[in-house]
Amino acid sequence: MADTKAKNPGAGASRQEPDPSPITLLEKIRSRGRAWEDLAVQYGVTNPDPPWKVSMFSTCEALAIRDCLETLDRRASEDDLSETLYRDIPQPERQLMALAHTMIRRGLVDEDELERRMRQVHERLTSA
Amino acid sequence: MKRSHHAEKSTGKGDPQCFKGEAGPAKFKVGDRVRIKNLPDIFYTRCQVYTRGAEGTVAVVTHESPAPEDEAWDNTDKPEWFYIVRFKQKDLWSDYPSAYPNDSVQTEFSERWLEKA
Amino acid sequence: MAEKHKAAPMVDEVSDFEILEAAVRELAIEKGLFTADDHRRFTEFAHSIGPLPAARLVAKAWLDPKFKKLALEDGVKASLQVGIDWLNPTGFGTPSDYTDLRVLEDTAKVKHVVVCTLCSCYPRPILGHSPEWYRTPNYRRRLVRWPRQVLAEFGLQLPADVEIRVEDSNQKCRFMVLPMRPAGTDGWSEEQLASIVTRDCMIGVALPHPDRKQDDKRPIHPAVHPIQHDHGHDHAHGH
Repeated sequence: MADTKAKNPGAGASRQEPDPSPITLLEKIRSRGRAWEDLAVQYGVTNPDPPWKVSMFSTCEALAIRDCLETLDRRASEDDLSETLYRDIPQPERQLMALAHTMIRRGLVDEDELERRMRQVHERLTSA
Repeated sequence: MKRSHHAEKSTGKGDPQCFKGEAGPAKFKVGDRVRIKNLPDIFYTRCQVYTRGAEGTVAVVTHESPAPEDEAWDNTDKPEWFYIVRFKQKDLWSDYPSAYPNDSVQTEFSERWLEKA
Repeated sequence: MAEKHKAAPMVDEVSDFEILEAAVRELAIEKGLFTADDHRRFTEFAHSIGPLPAARLVAKAWLDPKFKKLALEDGVKASLQVGIDWLNPTGFGTPSDYTDLRVLEDTAKVKHVVVCTLCSCYPRPILGHSPEWYRTPNYRRRLVRWPRQVLAEFGLQLPADVEIRVEDSNQKCRFMVLPMRPAGTDGWSEEQLASIVTRDCMIGVALPHPDRKQDDKRPIHPAVHPIQHDHGHDHAHGH
C-alpha cells in the first residue's frame, strides 16, 4: 500500500452531494436567530443544551426509521454543510440548520410552507 | 409510510441477530490472512476506501447479515458472514511512524470484500 | 430557610432556532413522513439513556472474573445484568441502533479506542448519546490515520510499545472499551468503581483515574489537517 494520499479515512460510502447554495429562509434565521450559548449566558441557565435538541434528534431518528432520510446520508450532508455554509453557527444550531437545509433540498418540506409554519409556531409560542 | 421490512423483522430479536443461520458456512476463520478486494463502488457501501487492497488478519467472525450494499436496497435475501479484520497501521499508511510498529486498526467487512491473502 | 426558593432558571425568549425545530417536526408529522408516536417514543428513549449502565458493566467486570468472561464473549447478554436489553432498546427496532455489542478489553500491551469514520455509530443503549466531538469529521477522519496525535489532544500519551488499536465501527457491531482498573482502587465497591468509569474511558480516549469522576470538557478543535470532501472521490490529505 504505497499510495496513502488517495485514501481519506472518511471515504467509503458513496452518497448524494447536498446542494450547498444558501436557502433564503435559513439565511434569515441565521441573521435573526440567537444561539443557545448566548441565551444560556444571558438568562443564567446552566443546561448545556437547548430544550429542543432532543426533539431534533428524535426527528432525525424518525425520518430514518420511516426511510425518508437515511442516517448516513443525513450525516454526510450535515458534515458538508457544517464545514461550508453553516460553519460559523454553533452547535446544536448548526445541526438543525443542516437538517432543515437537507430536508428542503430533498423536497421533504417546502421552503415557503416552512416559513408559514414558523410564523404560526411563533404566534403560538409568544401569545401565551 | 411503511417501516423498512428489516426493522419489523428485527423487533424483539435484534439486528443482526434476526439473520442468524441464514448465511451458510463461514469462508474464513480467526487468524486467516485476508486481502480486501478493490471492488468498484456502486451506489452504496460501508467498506472504507482506506482498506482497499490491504492485507490483514481475521480477528473476529462476528455475525450474519445482509451486506450493506444489498440492504440499502432493502434486499435481505442473501445474508453473509461478517468479519473484523485487523491491519497493522503501516500496512495501511506507508508513512505511519516506524516508532510505533504495533499500532493497528480493525474494522468489519462482509464476506464478499475478502479474499485469501 | 432564610433563602427563598427560586424558580428553576429558564430562558424567557423564543429563539428562531427553537421555532425552526418545531416547524420542521410539525410539518414532517403532518405530511406523514413519520408519526407523532414515532417521535414521542424516540424522545422517551433519548431521555432514558446515558453512560451509567456501561460504567456498571466495567465495574462488575473488574470485580467478577466470571462476569468479565461473559462480557467479552457476549456483550448483549452481559448488558442484561446492568439493565440494558439490546434486543429491544427502544421498545421497537431502530435501523440506527444495531444490536451486536462487543466489549474490547485493554491490557498492559493493547489500548483500544473507538471511532466510526463513516458516520458516528455508537453503542447508545448502554452508553447514551455520543459526545459532540465524537461526531466531528475532525475526530472521525483523523483517528484511524494519526491516532497518537489525536489521543495526545485528549491528554493521553502512551508508550511506544503499547499497541494502539483503533476500532473503526462501520457495520452492525457496536463497541465499548473495558479499560484496565487503575491502581489506588483496592477494596472499592462496584458503585465506587463505576463512578470513575467515565464515558471517555469507554470510548477509549481517556483512562480511569481514582480521582476523576467527570470527563474533561473537550474543545471542538478545527481540523489540524484540513479536510477535503470525500464523496466517493479520492482527495489528497495535507500532512
